[in-house]
Amino acid sequence: MVDFLQIVLNGVLTGLVYGIVAMSFVVIYRASRIVNLAQGEVLLVGAYFLWTAIFGLHLPLVLGLVVALAACMGFGMILERTIFRPLIGQPAFSIVMASIGLMILLRGLIQVAWGAQDRQFPGILPGGALQVGEFLFNKALLIGAAATVLLVEALNWYFLHTDSGLRLAAVAEDHVTALSMGVSVPRAANIAWVLGVGLASVAAVIVLSGTILGLSVSAIGFRALPVALLGGLESVRGAPLAGVIIGVGEALASEYLDPLTNGAMSQVFPFLIMIGVLLIRPQGLFGWKIIERV
Amino acid sequence: MLPSGVYFESFDREGRYLRTKPQIACFVGLLVLLAGFPFLSNDYLLGIASMMYITMIAVFGLQITVGMAGQINLGQSAFVGIGAYVAAALSGSAGLPFWMTIPAAGLAAGSASILFGLPAVRVKGFYLALTTIAAQVIFPIVVIRLPVAWFGGPNGLAMEPAHIFGRTLGSPMEMYYLCLAVLLVLGTFAFNLQRSRVGRAFRALRDNDIVPGVLGINPFRYKILAFFGGAFFGGISGALYAYFVRYVTTDQFTLWLSVWYIGMLIVGGLHSPLGAILGTLFITGVQETIHHVGTLLLASHSGISGGIVFASTNVVLGGAIIITLIFEPYGLAHRWNLIKAAYRIWPYSHN
Repeated sequence: MVDFLQIVLNGVLTGLVYGIVAMSFVVIYRASRIVNLAQGEVLLVGAYFLWTAIFGLHLPLVLGLVVALAACMGFGMILERTIFRPLIGQPAFSIVMASIGLMILLRGLIQVAWGAQDRQFPGILPGGALQVGEFLFNKALLIGAAATVLLVEALNWYFLHTDSGLRLAAVAEDHVTALSMGVSVPRAANIAWVLGVGLASVAAVIVLSGTILGLSVSAIGFRALPVALLGGLESVRGAPLAGVIIGVGEALASEYLDPLTNGAMSQVFPFLIMIGVLLIRPQGLFGWKIIERV
Repeated sequence: MLPSGVYFESFDREGRYLRTKPQIACFVGLLVLLAGFPFLSNDYLLGIASMMYITMIAVFGLQITVGMAGQINLGQSAFVGIGAYVAAALSGSAGLPFWMTIPAAGLAAGSASILFGLPAVRVKGFYLALTTIAAQVIFPIVVIRLPVAWFGGPNGLAMEPAHIFGRTLGSPMEMYYLCLAVLLVLGTFAFNLQRSRVGRAFRALRDNDIVPGVLGINPFRYKILAFFGGAFFGGISGALYAYFVRYVTTDQFTLWLSVWYIGMLIVGGLHSPLGAILGTLFITGVQETIHHVGTLLLASHSGISGGIVFASTNVVLGGAIIITLIFEPYGLAHRWNLIKAAYRIWPYSHN
């Protein structure tokens, strides 16, 4: 029983970290109707900025974090201005393809700028495990999970209770109506990108703290996609909840089903959920029902 | 567009791809050039050309699913992989000749695609892209864990070269002709498909969701058919790939390969099979140029590391996709047609 609960708790913590990456998808999607498939690569760029700020420029930890976060937000703004704004009004296909092009481009640029070799990522969060009663928690994940919950509530408050957040919500509902009410869609998209890329770099800190930084890290973008989809692409609060569902499911599958399937089940699980969601309830658990369906 | 004074007296002649004598002459010249290419080049170039033909077949397939029928497919390399594995397994354990394994590979990939095309009936656009990504992610995980006797498990499968009439098609030149022959057959098929009844139905599906149903086109059937057709081409491309490389593992068929395929199609132009040809040519050309320059730079000890040069292939492809989408959404094929029209009506331009 303790084992089972331990597995579930670990699943919850991992799931919340997926949730924060999924949230970066959601924030961008809400305002710009763009699902940025390159989010994993964007996260990677954030991680390399951090690495450069702390190990390359030898800035103190806090200053380094601030500088890197600012650089990431600037990077998000540049992405929106140069690539996605010219594509406003184009069919979904062009936008999906542009994000794929961005994925390839960023991968190449990262290799040109920083080289392809793996490197040590600074240990920003405390490492090791925390023992509570009979349960062990990974400290970095625990802090990450707490940060996710805090960020979700902060974002939710921002979207529902501030002027600028409500503008974003209006843009999320309908571009044309928002425009006719005097809300600037490009401006909203810009804010959303800055927020989304910022979130992705916060996620990078949590995921990578004290581990190895390399190109393969970007896979987390694709692991978080099913989470964003299950939660609903418009729902900020849905993302961490879906993260917990998928995290726990993955943890249980890896413990109880992997021995039977030779380690396949935990890897396939999120994608099976994704196909299921698309077939049964394409808007996800908490998404709005305006999905493009046939 | 044709110069004034060139006209046709029957619809049949008007509708042909090769309508005038100079056009036929050009096309025959091209065929002769392709057939004579092995005598003008070396083994290295032949290998690149064969690989390019194999890629082109997969991109032709993608053009059917994505360009003609408008169903996004980001998992083409999984279908190529299925084709490669089926061809390797059939020629290895069952000892079937290549003219049976290649179509069988196409059919197997096509059948697998039906499973992942089913969501297309309910969702479209970005959501469909996701299900095909799921196909791509699930493919290696499943293949590696199937019984070793089927597909060799994590080790993959080794492959005998193709045989015909007691002759082994092992040399680069023979492989080149095999790829060229298959490419010509499938290319003809792809070009003619787009103006057949099925091709028109595909285009109707791409342009509107509701109207095709009203016109008597069964959307369910044709969407599945679009996936089947695209993956069929992919499977054949995979079978040729297996004969070419003679070794099949899951590492060869990643999401990245799918992304490259779609990148080639976008740069070339989605709306006609010509785009598949131009895109594959362009990207292969860029890739090989960068490869060549990279090798030279490495040899010259100029301090520029090879990794940077090779990474710049990614930068060029990614940049090319984005620039094409923003500035020339119809791709190189559109540019090519403009140039062709300008050449044909020169010197009396209409506008």
